[in-house]
Amino acid sequence: MARLALRGIVRDYGTLRVIHGIDLDVAEGEFVVFVGPSGCGKSTLLRMIAGLDKPTGGDIEIDGIRVNDRSAAERGLAMVFQSYALYPHMTVRQNLAFGLENQRMPRAEIDRRIADAARMLQIEHLLARKPGQLSGGQRQRVAIGRTVTREPGIFLFDEPLSNLDAELRVQMRVELSQLHKRLRATMIYVTHDQTEAMTMADRIVVLRAGRLEQAGSPLALYNHPANRFVAGFIGSPRMNFLPATVSPNGVRVDGLDELALERFAVAQGAAVSLGVRPEHFEFVDAGGLPGTVDLVEHMGGESYVYVTLANGERITVRRPGQTGLVGGSNVRAAVLQGQAHLFHTSEGEAAVARL
Amino acid sequence: MRAALARLIDWPFEALQRALGAARMPYVFVLPNLLVFGIFVVLPMLLNIWYATTSGAELMPGQRPFTGLANFAELLDCGNYLNVASCRQDRFWRSVDNTLWFVAFQVITMVVLSLITALVLNRKMALRGFFRAVFFYPVLLSPVVVALIWKWILQPDGVLNAILVANGGQRVPFLLDPSWSFFWTVVVSVWAHMGFYVLILLAGLQAIPPDLYEAAAMDGTPQWRVFWRITLPLLMPNMAVVLVLGLIRAVQAFDEIYVLTGGGPGTATQYIVQYIYETAFAGQVHIMGLAAAASMLVGGVLLVLTLLQLLASARAKQ
Ligand SMILES: Nc1ncnc2c1ncn2[C@@H]1O[C@H](COP(=O)(O)OP(=O)(O)OP(=O)(O)O)[C@@H](O)[C@H]1O
Ligand SMILES: [Mg+2]
Repeated sequence: MARLALRGIVRDYGTLRVIHGIDLDVAEGEFVVFVGPSGCGKSTLLRMIAGLDKPTGGDIEIDGIRVNDRSAAERGLAMVFQSYALYPHMTVRQNLAFGLENQRMPRAEIDRRIADAARMLQIEHLLARKPGQLSGGQRQRVAIGRTVTREPGIFLFDEPLSNLDAELRVQMRVELSQLHKRLRATMIYVTHDQTEAMTMADRIVVLRAGRLEQAGSPLALYNHPANRFVAGFIGSPRMNFLPATVSPNGVRVDGLDELALERFAVAQGAAVSLGVRPEHFEFVDAGGLPGTVDLVEHMGGESYVYVTLANGERITVRRPGQTGLVGGSNVRAAVLQGQAHLFHTSEGEAAVARL
Repeated sequence: MRAALARLIDWPFEALQRALGAARMPYVFVLPNLLVFGIFVVLPMLLNIWYATTSGAELMPGQRPFTGLANFAELLDCGNYLNVASCRQDRFWRSVDNTLWFVAFQVITMVVLSLITALVLNRKMALRGFFRAVFFYPVLLSPVVVALIWKWILQPDGVLNAILVANGGQRVPFLLDPSWSFFWTVVVSVWAHMGFYVLILLAGLQAIPPDLYEAAAMDGTPQWRVFWRITLPLLMPNMAVVLVLGLIRAVQAFDEIYVLTGGGPGTATQYIVQYIYETAFAGQVHIMGLAAAASMLVGGVLLVLTLLQLLASARAKQ
């Protein structure tokens, strides 16, 4: 178990800056998930932590010691690669033993660790096979096993589940969370899937274009997104955004009537973006935003209603249970009390504080 | 324009297809290749078998008396196989002996050098493309040109001796001393063919996923262990192809060496193919029968090696 600190990490490729000064502290035993769209620099950041890549500027500290100039091996970390990167010509057992043999560990200790990891990951019956003879999920387990046997200070994962099918992904997600609980290890996990981030993380770090947008617990990010990007990225289906102007009792959505809201710290007449999550709309008989239902998706336990508002904007509404609405129905969508978000339309699109 | 051209080419095939039916058309398309293969490969092979089992100095197959395995018996007739001089065809055995030494030295040197070169060229370095071209270039040269270049370097008043003398050294008769001469046939043939094998090994190296090396780095693997436990095992299929192809080509060594040393001094660098060539075509009497028998023996060895090669590349594909 170790803690990690990033201090002003910058990474340039030639004249192109892909990481713009990242500061972050990861506590001992914390499960931190880096999440962001493709190309935002998640892998680059993880590889710099791992020691596979060097930052152009800034410091990386593990347990308070600067490790910029230490090799990957000396940092005491272990990584699960997206491609698994299992040695194809070695058996599973040899794969698990390889890193330990490098440390000249006694054979008995190696065997003990392999036995422990194999039991924990339920790969005991696979030890004599080669990676080519395993399914994707089994390979994934072996790749995780290889890191577990190393007993690293920090576990690093780069999109480890992206090659698995949906069902297996859910299962491995649960298993990884359990693994974290059992080992109480520090883990840094990279993904572009916000669901993975929400379900597994102690803390989510949202990255965009090489910048840290917001870091916080899953619910903190869900309830109090710092800006429109984070609001849109966290949560599924994604938050609805409507252009609006601040009015005396709330906001006036462009082209529609005034919508009564609680008070926000913003001047009347300011242009804002109204953000409402699909689950925070309800249908009412009077007031709200008028529109017509395009389509209803019945999931059984809940329903997704796609609505085109009278001003032409489209929104998604998520209702619990089953609804009798059909395409063409006229509806009025109101925002649940206290659940609206406002965002400035200026650079950065920061969230407007509530009063 | 193109349509008109197509019509011009089409009509004979259309006529043929009408005459033969569509089912027989595939044979029409493979026929040209089969003819060439038959005339230049199958027919000579059959002729060779006939020559090997007949004797005399006659060239025309029909005028040669059948003697069964007599030619083979003559080639294999030795008082003591460890003593070349005790063999009836001591030139044959001397060239077999020379060839074995040549193959051993040439193949080992070539495999090791190609591997080292491929490893170096696979690294990120300045002018990598240029160096790759430098190593491949000799492969494109005609063997005669290769030999002439090296002759120009190695002859008594050649470039290498000029450099030696200029630095206060002695002239060395590189091509007139048996050991030196053997040494240079190995060097020249490695130089001439290495590029091809470097290419095969480079392809193999590039097929190894880079994240395996990153995983090895995370595992704290020392460089030598990365080489022995990851690079070499994953390169094995390509190494096997290189080894077997190299063996086959070394047994067949002839042209550049024949031009470079003529098999000399004496018979010091006379290898098996040269023996066959000279026995059949270069002497006062053309002893076709013996030469044909000898080439069948060599062919047998090459057949075994080729089967090995097929096996190796089949495994490489897996
Ligand atoms: N070797 C390189 N040379 C130049 N630019 C690079 C290099 N490697 C990465 N980049 C750039 O750095 C940025 C971040 O890449 P990175 O691989 O970290 O993205 P990512 O967040 O992991 O994306 P993904 O989710 O697709 O894996 C990208 O814009 C990419 O084009
Ligand atoms: Mg990535």
